[in-house]
Amino acid sequence: MRNYSAFLKKEVLEYTKTYKLLIMLMVFAVFGITNPLMAKLLPEILRKLMTDGNIMTLPEATAYDAWTQFFKNATQMGLIVMVILFSGVLSSELSKGTLINMLTKGLSRTAVILSKYTCMVLVWTISIALCFALTYGYTVYLFPAGETANLIFSTFCLWLFGVFLLVVLLLSATLTKSNYGCLLITGAAAVVCMLVNIIPAAHRYNPISLATDNLGLISNSIAVSSLYCTILISCLLSLLFVFLSVLIFRKKQL
Amino acid sequence: MDLAMLKEYLPFLIPLVIAQLALGITALVHVLRYPHYRFGNKVMWAIIVMLVQFIGPAAYFAFGRGNE
Repeated sequence: MRNYSAFLKKEVLEYTKTYKLLIMLMVFAVFGITNPLMAKLLPEILRKLMTDGNIMTLPEATAYDAWTQFFKNATQMGLIVMVILFSGVLSSELSKGTLINMLTKGLSRTAVILSKYTCMVLVWTISIALCFALTYGYTVYLFPAGETANLIFSTFCLWLFGVFLLVVLLLSATLTKSNYGCLLITGAAAVVCMLVNIIPAAHRYNPISLATDNLGLISNSIAVSSLYCTILISCLLSLLFVFLSVLIFRKKQL
Repeated sequence: MDLAMLKEYLPFLIPLVIAQLALGITALVHVLRYPHYRFGNKVMWAIIVMLVQFIGPAAYFAFGRGNE
């Protein structure tokens, strides 16, 4: 336990000193501010671009559009930025050799993996919370009338998918030596999830539904209860993968 | 862009400008203090972090920063 808290402190310090925390927070803050703004400005930009010849009626932007932007940006760019930033989670310390000294002095390998995972989840939680808060604040400011259904639940699903993606990243980091290998396996896992999603029967059990069903949830076209199974599966898979990463890292030749 | 429209979007512009300046200045200080990069030189990185909004500083910290 002391191992764990000490290494966690070191991880937090590392993210601050390497500016990874700053970049994560800034990227998500910028997304948070621009989501409602883009929703508001897009119809106006289109109107400016339209010439006399083609007339198209554009609906007024609503709070729903702002949240559409939020879920699009967070599930695409947000997750990509996160995975790229965290891709060196194990490989950077292993290639520099700074971890070896501590491990030979008795730091437990389980503590290393668990504290690294905790720290990644922590950074991801703070970032998504910041993005959500900013989008929420500005959406209320720009579109006071708008009410959006299932907002918190939908964001929770997105957060859970991020947590799942991080554990896949951690597992691939223990399997490979370089951060490119880690990126490759994580990307491959995401692609496999998307391919499996083509089968309609698998949709309910596929973790990626957590990141693709958000828009359906906030427009009320997907029932909340249809995702319970996915949430359970994602939690179980996350636990299993954490367990596997610990096992693999304990056996790994450094 | 007329003045009324600018005023309307001021609550958005101010935080964005602050965020960009904070990132840019942190990156610029780092560029000037640690003149070792994986590639490129001091002038190139200084220009990139100050002129390319958001992506410049992020790219510097992710790819350009050398190990001290």
